[in-house]
Amino acid sequence: MASAIVIGATVDGLVAAHYLARAGHRVLVLDERSSASHSSTVGWVPAPIARDLALEQHGLRIERVGPWLAAPLEAGGHLELYQDIARSVESIRRVSNEDAQKWPSFCARMAAAARVLESLYTAPPPDPLTDDRGELWQMAKWAFGTRRAGPQTVVDVLRFLPMPVADLLDDWFESAALKGALGAMAVMHQRQGPRASGSTFGLLHHHVGSPLGVFRPARSNIVQVLERRPGIEIRRNAQVAQIQVSGGRVVGVVLSGGEEISAALVVSSEHPRRALLDQLDTKWLDPALVRALRNVRARGVVARVTLVLDAAFDQPNLVIAPSLDYVQRAHDDGKYGRVAEQPWFVVSAHRVEPAYGERAAAATHRLEVHLQCAPYALRDDQGNDDRWDDSLREAIAGFVVQKLREQQPAITNSVRSISVEAPADLQAREGWYEGQAYDADLALDQALWMRPVPALARYRTPIEGLYLCGPAMHPGGGIAGAAGMNAAQEILRNR
Amino acid sequence: MTTQYDAIVIGGGHNGLVAAAYLARAGRKVVVLERRERIGGAAYSDQVVPGFTFSVFSYVVSLLRPEIIRDLELPRHGLHILPLESTLTPLANGDYLAQWNDHDQNKRELARHSLRDAEAYDDFSRLMHLMARAVKPMLSMTPPDPTSTSPRELMGLWRLGKYFRGLGREQFNELHKLLTMSSADYLDEWFESEALKGTKSASGIIGTLHGPRSPGTAYVLLHHYMGELDGVFRAWGFAKGGNGSVSAAIAASAQAFGAQIRTQAPVAQVLIENGRAIGVVLEGGEEVRGKRVISGADPRRTFLGLVGAKHLPNDFVAEIERFKFRGTSAKVNLALAEAPDFTCMPGVGPHLRGAISISPSVDYLERAYDQAKYGEFSQRPYMDIIIPSMIDPGMAPPGKHVMSIFAQYAPYHLNGGWTDAKRNAFGDAVIDTLAHYAPNIKSSILHRQVVVPADIENMVGISEGNIFHGELTLQQMFFLRPVPKWAKYKTPIAGLYQCGSGTHPGGGVMGAPGRNAALGILAEAA
Repeated sequence: MASAIVIGATVDGLVAAHYLARAGHRVLVLDERSSASHSSTVGWVPAPIARDLALEQHGLRIERVGPWLAAPLEAGGHLELYQDIARSVESIRRVSNEDAQKWPSFCARMAAAARVLESLYTAPPPDPLTDDRGELWQMAKWAFGTRRAGPQTVVDVLRFLPMPVADLLDDWFESAALKGALGAMAVMHQRQGPRASGSTFGLLHHHVGSPLGVFRPARSNIVQVLERRPGIEIRRNAQVAQIQVSGGRVVGVVLSGGEEISAALVVSSEHPRRALLDQLDTKWLDPALVRALRNVRARGVVARVTLVLDAAFDQPNLVIAPSLDYVQRAHDDGKYGRVAEQPWFVVSAHRVEPAYGERAAAATHRLEVHLQCAPYALRDDQGNDDRWDDSLREAIAGFVVQKLREQQPAITNSVRSISVEAPADLQAREGWYEGQAYDADLALDQALWMRPVPALARYRTPIEGLYLCGPAMHPGGGIAGAAGMNAAQEILRNR
Repeated sequence: MTTQYDAIVIGGGHNGLVAAAYLARAGRKVVVLERRERIGGAAYSDQVVPGFTFSVFSYVVSLLRPEIIRDLELPRHGLHILPLESTLTPLANGDYLAQWNDHDQNKRELARHSLRDAEAYDDFSRLMHLMARAVKPMLSMTPPDPTSTSPRELMGLWRLGKYFRGLGREQFNELHKLLTMSSADYLDEWFESEALKGTKSASGIIGTLHGPRSPGTAYVLLHHYMGELDGVFRAWGFAKGGNGSVSAAIAASAQAFGAQIRTQAPVAQVLIENGRAIGVVLEGGEEVRGKRVISGADPRRTFLGLVGAKHLPNDFVAEIERFKFRGTSAKVNLALAEAPDFTCMPGVGPHLRGAISISPSVDYLERAYDQAKYGEFSQRPYMDIIIPSMIDPGMAPPGKHVMSIFAQYAPYHLNGGWTDAKRNAFGDAVIDTLAHYAPNIKSSILHRQVVVPADIENMVGISEGNIFHGELTLQQMFFLRPVPKWAKYKTPIAGLYQCGSGTHPGGGVMGAPGRNAALGILAEAA
């Protein structure tokens, strides 16, 4: 019999499961999907997780392709950004000498600010109102550590976080191609466009853990490694219908087939709304908490286009986001519940894992296109609810293929298949709540001790023995497994 | 003859006058140098057409600090603030949303739109009152420097931290939300009526190049409630005689305390000797000497114009250049042959004595912003309208009226720049929009004055015509306003200070920057 149940074989769920197993729990992971995801996982793998779970020995591979981003230029050719600062500078020089000169110092300033976030991300969120002396001491230590990074970094963090990324980039650079591409990286998975306040937080969030000069989270096979790593049991096709509570304590779960599994510790990597409002009887919760949970913003805005190709694509990290205005307009459409007429997108060429499905095994190249804005909830011109349909999917596919053809005319002949996943499809396939990969929008009012709501920020719920560990928890999505690790630490500390 | 002043104040706007008054009150020898023939800066009234008094730029008294009204005895010097009792939001379908000061009347009206909103409104108001009370002390605080290691600054930070912790968990978290959320998202948590959300969220976009869906706009929701807190002083309202009378009252108080005020005395340059400000040179060449120079002009004008970059450290200059202005607010002032007749509420009634807000929904405001973002003015602008002659009959000849329309967005950086034709086109957009709700407006206009940010820059001298002397966004607030490390009214030049809205706590006819600066200087000298 399991002593702990983890709901959802997501990266956070699996990390939490392994940490609990390491501490002596018998862990059962329940996942409603029939198989694991094809996609590699996006996000920095924090060093403590790799170390504690010995992920490298178990085959962790972090994809580091250079350049990490290639933006087509009007004059022909590409603006390419590399992990190697000098090579980036060379490439930027093609569009602007001044921008090229500023690139190294821009990277250094952003890296210093991101390090401040990093130090907060690999631990449970600080509680500025705590009376616990130990915690206060930790916070004071952190504050002094940050100040030691120098006055510039302190000011940068204070100023960058609430700033529109468009303002930041306009302050530094003149090249539309450079600003458009970086702006797009900042608003990845966000409904807010680059002119919205707080979008620089997105750029920093996506920079955390990355090498100097890389503003796009790396991809890795961490989920596959965690699935294979011994120590836990994973059950597929196991949809949790109900979390059972008795006398304010969690006692187990009921699957949708009716099977009951008991455990005194249940850790859910699903959206808190799903775990607490759908799977739990809300009579256990304070109405204020229920209201706060309903107000958590989770607005999926991403469509995923997957192309299977016979031939290689020249620009495996192509980004189509030619200017900040272009990106902003795409988000303007999203704001009113429409799929962008001119969406921005970023490509990643996928490593094909032959173990998963025949089609992928036969394919030679797989392009995954992340496209924004494509809202989960559509509205028509009159403001009424609208639906995702095939013509919309076809239009998106057509747009992507046309843009790719502009880069590589021969591509039309090598497309073997193309599929478009709407946010709702991504919810079914990847478990992204309403298509939002981060479960809760990345925003300053939903960060740190406010994530997802203050009462749940410490991974604990009002039900004894029931914890949360998904991307809606601090530090949020895009950081592979950090929420899972932090939750496990909090659980083990409490017991 | 050379008079040595204790302090020279550059600019006779309301903040400069407040600073001068406080210094004079403490016995300092002070002179205020105003470029124009009239004092008041952006808070001034003018008879553009004989018989009709326009509050040309700022048109309401927002948050004028009660301690200033008290300390400077402004009522004795002629300040009389009349309340604005209501807000009427006409809607496209011919209906309206009216918000009244009377609690029950207000609730009944809200219930007509949404029972749920009417239920939630009391809780919302209670919370906003609490939060306004929590924020208020910060307005009169001199921001500590978060980068300094001096014991004094660390002490300041410690006190600030203690203050926040003292708020308690609920208020602390709510303050966090108000500072970081968009007004649209924040209001979505409470209300469902579009008209109510539109009208309330409009306060968050004033003076900025942001829309109601941009994070950071929720905080301004508190301002209205802060005004109510100030209670008897009616810090939120309409100044009898127009907003120029606010400046006039402060000036009269300053003079009564012994300050000199010189108009048509344009400062060309701050005199600097051995890294210290020792006075100013007027455009005619006259030198005015003083121990301290206090600038009420905005940061860009002060440092890049009057001081000159060569006297300043490079990184400081870079920070000032980076400081965002981007004025977006315009005024349309009308002399009217008759009162406007709103289709949704016909005739002359109490609704004309309050504000009229053209903000039917959050999307309406957001669309107005969408155009501005790409350098166009809004075809359907947000408007905040008052009819001063309904409250203060002296503003217009009998039977006739003046109307003050605050309109947004009219971005300073317009594609192709502002021309007379474009200014007129914007004026037309405002009138056309208004005519949709009050059809008689077009035929009753006797005179129309359109003031866009470029005009504010030319006339008042505020860079890019930003009514707050720089955007009031989170990254330009508190210890970051206008420049990190220099948010304490001091500057890198010894003897040179700032007291304008470009410093904490920012714009509005509040007077706090002027008072904070003066008190800082007095504490220093003591």
